[in-house]
Amino acid sequence: MSELTVSAPVYQTHESERLPSQEREGQIFWKLRWQVGRTQLKYLLRHARLRTALVLGLSLVFWLGLFALFYSGFEFVVDNVGAPGAQYHAQTVQFVFTLFFVSLQVMLIFSAGIILYGGLYATRETAFLMTLPVRDSRLVFFRFQEALLFSSWGFFLLASPMMVAYGLVVSAPWYYYAYLPVMVVSFAYIPCAIGAIACLLLISRLPHLRRIVVGLLAVVVIGAAYFSIWRTLNISNADLLGAAWFKETFHRFEFTRGEWLPSTWLSNGLLDAARRPLSTDPDDLPWLDGGKYLIVLVSNALFLHVMVTWVGRRVFRKSYHGLNTRQARESKPVMAWVDRIAYWAFSPFSVPMRLLITKDLRMFRRDPVQWSQFLIFFGLLLLYFANIDRFRQHRADVSVLTWVNVVSFLNLAVVGLILSTFTTRFIYPLISLEGRRFWILGRLPVNRDTILWGKFLFAAGGSLLPCSGLVLVSDLMLDVQPMVVMVHQLICLLLCIGLAGMAVGLGAMMPNFREQSPSKIAAGFGGTLNLVLSAIYILAVVLLTALPCHFYLLAYSTEIPPKMLQPGFLKLWLSLGIGGALILAAIVTVIPMHSGLKAFRELEV
Amino acid sequence: MIQFQHVTRNYGNRVAVSDLDLSVAKGELLALLGHNGAGKTTTIKMLVGLLRPSEGKVQVGPYTVVDHPREASSLIGYVPDQPFLYDKLSGREFLSFVAEMYGLTTVESREAVEREAERFQLTGFLDQLTESYSHGMRQRTVFAAALIHQPEVLVVDEPMVGLDPHSIRLVKDLLQAYTEQGKTVLMSTHTLAVAEEIAHRVAVMKTSNLIFDGKVEDLRSQVSGAGDSLEALYLALMQN
Repeated sequence: MSELTVSAPVYQTHESERLPSQEREGQIFWKLRWQVGRTQLKYLLRHARLRTALVLGLSLVFWLGLFALFYSGFEFVVDNVGAPGAQYHAQTVQFVFTLFFVSLQVMLIFSAGIILYGGLYATRETAFLMTLPVRDSRLVFFRFQEALLFSSWGFFLLASPMMVAYGLVVSAPWYYYAYLPVMVVSFAYIPCAIGAIACLLLISRLPHLRRIVVGLLAVVVIGAAYFSIWRTLNISNADLLGAAWFKETFHRFEFTRGEWLPSTWLSNGLLDAARRPLSTDPDDLPWLDGGKYLIVLVSNALFLHVMVTWVGRRVFRKSYHGLNTRQARESKPVMAWVDRIAYWAFSPFSVPMRLLITKDLRMFRRDPVQWSQFLIFFGLLLLYFANIDRFRQHRADVSVLTWVNVVSFLNLAVVGLILSTFTTRFIYPLISLEGRRFWILGRLPVNRDTILWGKFLFAAGGSLLPCSGLVLVSDLMLDVQPMVVMVHQLICLLLCIGLAGMAVGLGAMMPNFREQSPSKIAAGFGGTLNLVLSAIYILAVVLLTALPCHFYLLAYSTEIPPKMLQPGFLKLWLSLGIGGALILAAIVTVIPMHSGLKAFRELEV
Repeated sequence: MIQFQHVTRNYGNRVAVSDLDLSVAKGELLALLGHNGAGKTTTIKMLVGLLRPSEGKVQVGPYTVVDHPREASSLIGYVPDQPFLYDKLSGREFLSFVAEMYGLTTVESREAVEREAERFQLTGFLDQLTESYSHGMRQRTVFAAALIHQPEVLVVDEPMVGLDPHSIRLVKDLLQAYTEQGKTVLMSTHTLAVAEEIAHRVAVMKTSNLIFDGKVEDLRSQVSGAGDSLEALYLALMQN
């Protein structure tokens, strides 16, 4: 130590009187954000260019795709329903807007609450900040800002193309675009603040029941959404999209247009701001009508901002203490039924491999971040698959039959793409995460190959059941032919094996033992490469079988098939497609696994 | 300077700290000893405002921690057992943030950062991101952050874990020098030799209760015949 003595207090005033004011405290936290953000941006631009370019590029493609979709949709409404100002135009667009915004409003409440919970109660940073003289309201607001950003960026990505497209289609005046960002940000602020307040009050009052309450609410909301969709689509085909159907549906979703809902204020504000004033009525001032809704949104957002900090100041520390002093759950010394089933299901394999698989399964199910994302994405897919049976009523129509086939293969590809995000996020980092505890595995009398094969089996076996189940639901709802069902199940198996092999193999080839966060490991070069290769593999395998199946069905559905669509040719095509898919699956499984095994054998930690 | 008055903390039905009465005076270094799960960390967390007592009162200087957490924490510098640093900040940025949170002006903050960086031999690494720091460097940075506002009370939880001999010497000298300046130190540790060397008083906790509070000499007379070292005395006390 260069200087052991402690200098006499330099600051004569009492410490607590020197503490920063509200404004100064805010400035210090903004400075912290700026410094952390700047460093992360520099890191992205220097070390993660591929990933950054991919994320930005794909986001842009996604935005443009949505814009084109909404633009065409609104053009259709203008051409077939009515121009802006017409009664039916307003009703139709209001129906779309309110339904869209009310759905996102509910999602924002949940996501902001859950993200705030994670940031405020479950991080070491919060504990660190609580030991500094930081105001509780500042701490809550600091975390709320993150919850707001992380929960609403998806909303901005989805809503902005829709609103810009509407403005362009109806030739909205300039103030529509001026109001737009303020309205959207104010709107997003309201449900996020409600979610944050609900989170604080829930943890404050019922810390023990927080998961049960959120789970029950989520089930109720999902049930209501499912019921509404099912009732809307469950009518005879002749009435679908007819005037009576529209009236009934419009009436059924009246609750989404309640005057007290922020989604209604946003919808009405946008509609008013977008329309042109009536030339016959000098008192018709759309900028003023839209502006009123803008003021309602902004004032409510500001009010809720005050409420978040007020509730935070009142309950945060108490709720934090309550949560951190609750009784720990008693652990049971018996094997959980899930583990027993997995242990039994992998009985053809060696005992060490089954034990390693059980260990990975335990770690998976005890980390809610992993299985909750799995549950949400696959749950949403199930919701969608369960509602796609509209095609069944047109079985005789060849063009519909073609679409059924296309949609069924698209569903298969979507399942594969979602699975690839999970293998990249959760399977790819498995080997890297073993690095810090590798001495345990390395000292065991187990061949290193067994460890890697164990992870491969865990990934492939664990993903097969949900994926094949989802694809089966899709096929049953679309009522595709048994031959297609069999092909889909085979492709699903190949996807699970290939994606698992790629993630495990590449993860072993490019381990990152310095990083402890799986998300950061997955976000590195190796993870990005795995995601890109997985996407290419999925598209290749699906296309290899989708095209022969497509022509095969066409050939059997038309009375006089063209020469190239003769059944003999097509059987050969299909066999070649399946053969190609098998070879491709073998390549993407064997090569990464072989290289991964080699790297893992030579690994020194 | 620090007072625990009949403090009890429960985790559901489990009692972590039971009816704790303990005080640490100005200029005193108290070593809090005890086996894992005895209640040391819970005691420290109540002192720094991370936990609230189920019963009783914790006071730092004139402030009750529960009622005035901000004012109480302005008097405390805290070094936790698992140090937290912002990975994407440099050591200098991190220390400046902490200094400014304690109300130091920009100029004072700059001076304080230089002073603590020199004291803890961080000068050469101060502008590197903390994610590149070794465990010892992280621990030294956290010490520097805890002392940046020259607090009246320094609370350290397991300060020696992961430090090399040179750093251990540095920390021991620092803690001794700190109390000589009239400041108060509460240190939780399993390193009994360090406690014996630098503590003015030791407090021993066993299964949520305080079973001894006094000087090492008092412990020798209480556990006579057990040996001379604090380690021997501690083990004998625990067996009773």
